[in-house]
Amino acid sequence: MNILTREELRKLVGEWIAAGKTCMGPVRVKPETVLFARLAKAGDLLLDGWVRPANSIKELLLPRHEVLYGYRIEKNRIELVDQPETAPGQIAIGAHPCDAAALPILDKVFNWDYRDEAYNRRREATTVITLACAGWDEECFCTSVGLGPDAERGSDAILFDRGDGRFQVRSLTEKGRALLGEGQGAASGVADPPPARFDPAQVASFAKEHFDDAFWKEHALACLGCGACAYTCPVCHCFDIVDEGNSREGVRARNWDACQFPLFTLHASGHNPRGEQGGRQRQRVYHKFYLYPEKFGDILCTGCGNCARNCPVGLGVLPLVAKIPHAEPV
Amino acid sequence: MSGGNGFEPRIVAYVCNWCTYLGADLAGTARLEYPPNVRIIRLPCTGRIDTNLVVKAFEVGADAVLVSGCHPGDCHYTAGNYHARRRWMLFRDLLEVVGFDMRRIHFTWISAAEGKKFQQTITEITEQTRALGPYRPYEASGAGVAACQPALACGAGAFACQPAPNGGAGALACQRSQTQLRETAARLLSEGAVKVVIGYGARGPVFVTRPEEAARLVWNESCFANLTTYLKRKEVRALGKPAIVVKGCDERALVALEKESQVERAEIYSIGMACQGMGQPKCAACDTRQPRYADETIGSADAPAPPPTADRYAALDPLLRQPPEERLAFWTAEFDRCLKCYACRQVCPMCYCERCLADKNRPQAIDSSPTRKGNFAWHLSRAIHLAGRCVGCDECTRGCPAGIDLRLLNLALAEAAETQFGYRAGMDPASEPLMGAYSLTDKEEFIG
Repeated sequence: MNILTREELRKLVGEWIAAGKTCMGPVRVKPETVLFARLAKAGDLLLDGWVRPANSIKELLLPRHEVLYGYRIEKNRIELVDQPETAPGQIAIGAHPCDAAALPILDKVFNWDYRDEAYNRRREATTVITLACAGWDEECFCTSVGLGPDAERGSDAILFDRGDGRFQVRSLTEKGRALLGEGQGAASGVADPPPARFDPAQVASFAKEHFDDAFWKEHALACLGCGACAYTCPVCHCFDIVDEGNSREGVRARNWDACQFPLFTLHASGHNPRGEQGGRQRQRVYHKFYLYPEKFGDILCTGCGNCARNCPVGLGVLPLVAKIPHAEPV
Repeated sequence: MSGGNGFEPRIVAYVCNWCTYLGADLAGTARLEYPPNVRIIRLPCTGRIDTNLVVKAFEVGADAVLVSGCHPGDCHYTAGNYHARRRWMLFRDLLEVVGFDMRRIHFTWISAAEGKKFQQTITEITEQTRALGPYRPYEASGAGVAACQPALACGAGAFACQPAPNGGAGALACQRSQTQLRETAARLLSEGAVKVVIGYGARGPVFVTRPEEAARLVWNESCFANLTTYLKRKEVRALGKPAIVVKGCDERALVALEKESQVERAEIYSIGMACQGMGQPKCAACDTRQPRYADETIGSADAPAPPPTADRYAALDPLLRQPPEERLAFWTAEFDRCLKCYACRQVCPMCYCERCLADKNRPQAIDSSPTRKGNFAWHLSRAIHLAGRCVGCDECTRGCPAGIDLRLLNLALAEAAETQFGYRAGMDPASEPLMGAYSLTDKEEFIG
């Protein structure tokens, strides 16, 4: 099918939910807050009225809390409890191109020297139905990192809002076709791309040569060291492993972690090699624009602007790198 | 000991070493029988019983919790139980607002001579809990992330300071104040009176260190943040003596921080900005629009009459009208969205611990996982640590990317502090910090 009405789409979502699939889509949780959340019912799915949700769909692949395995102790017997080998089917609906593009970027780090089973299980079970952007705000900068309002990278299918209550459907992969059929709808109602705001190559070369520059300290002064940027970023993927339990049972779990916390780099000795916030902000820019591209060939940023939207003090990737000398787009 | 339904409640009793524990011991040596459902945990003093332990007990499956210590006047450490009593007064209000079942949280004073009272107390609590049934507050509601409930949502007001299309009087006053602020900053920096001016910039806080950069400072409707949180940052402290831009409401944090010995008032130059309100929920019942203790004040607020006390806490009403189960369901849905990004903590001017309890991981004091238990433990800890200290700037709520209404927890504790003790944090530089003090006449009708 090339065209779906809103009602038809909701009906499909309702069927997927009824079939036991985890469906994630934008939900208005507060008058001013839209989040990607597990849809309890198709009616919660919000298909317009927002630029982008305050979080991302990475949670489908890398949940904020994921049990890796558990243990049970009874008398002298210790039993390890493995997680199920297959993940339930999950579908992201209404992701933007900046969410979908995160998946192939994340695939690289989770399949590099170690093939992360938990991640790959979820990845294989996930289908991404993207909604091309009909608008953008001043925090958006996808064009600066090689994407755009109708970029297809990472999507299994893409929907175009025609503005008349109907979507053009374009299936891109087997997974997409399995859910939405063979649609090859034409692009429609796509926003003009936001202007390029900086040149990532310049950011990388500045980073490479200015590790000890006062720039980082000066521009990170306002940073309060929370993890709002990293936790709402579609591609930030650092995690911590914790053991939680007691003498009878417990779990080893993986939780999100963020380079902006002092605890992230704190050594057991008490020494902290990244002792100041400037160094932590620098790390974030380094990882995204220099280290990750050098290792994996991808910029670790999809230009969604969530970091800036969620930062309580107006920082974020764009506000920071835009201040890098000569970073203006070519 | 078996009940009709076969349910045997698990009761955790946190008792002090000097009185209640000896009372329990006496009950034992006197061969007094009481139900074996109680697990006694001995601590040095009720004053040392962290509120977090109560939460922890419910996390691991307790059906009721008892906290018990020495009678007033009997504390081995003179006043530990008085401090505890005051803390529990506020903690009870917090749990009440969150919707915990208050019939399962008990406080008593039991002396070393009261073996009989210990026996009776444990018997009564066991019977009562048996009748109530098992308690699993974290499973109480499978709410998950829910679409918003309009009844509990707070609407945003209008910006008083928004530039009117044809330049209204408010906009002109803003403009004048901004010019004056820049002049003041330039003057302070060129005289060398301060090394940095912490103020509002076009898209967030700015740190102006050179007089010629004073034009980076702005004064408009988006200056609602509380900048005093920067006074604790070592990177900012390293810049030297600061001047800081404060509204009347932000100034409360300065007062409170000074009372808690976190800032040397003489080492800070405060530039007070009279404020007409920033259209934030906190502005609706504000009675501190005019700075009171600033070193220099710019502009003047047309001081409105202070609104009645009730108005300050009106946002709580829709929540308090609901039964406890509904409140618990509401908070479950709120906390289920928590990512543990700690933006609430980092933006808070009163959260200044160098290493937060949540970051203590040897052993882990609070589950770091953003699970339901971990999130309840974190948010209840955060709230109670701010009891009688929160100055109501709402930065935690503004900073939360998941839109969790943390404001309501702070409001509940602020209301408890005001109604029970006539205390408002940061209002009166002469008054003792609420949680650092106690009174022999603190109410204790909830203590058995």
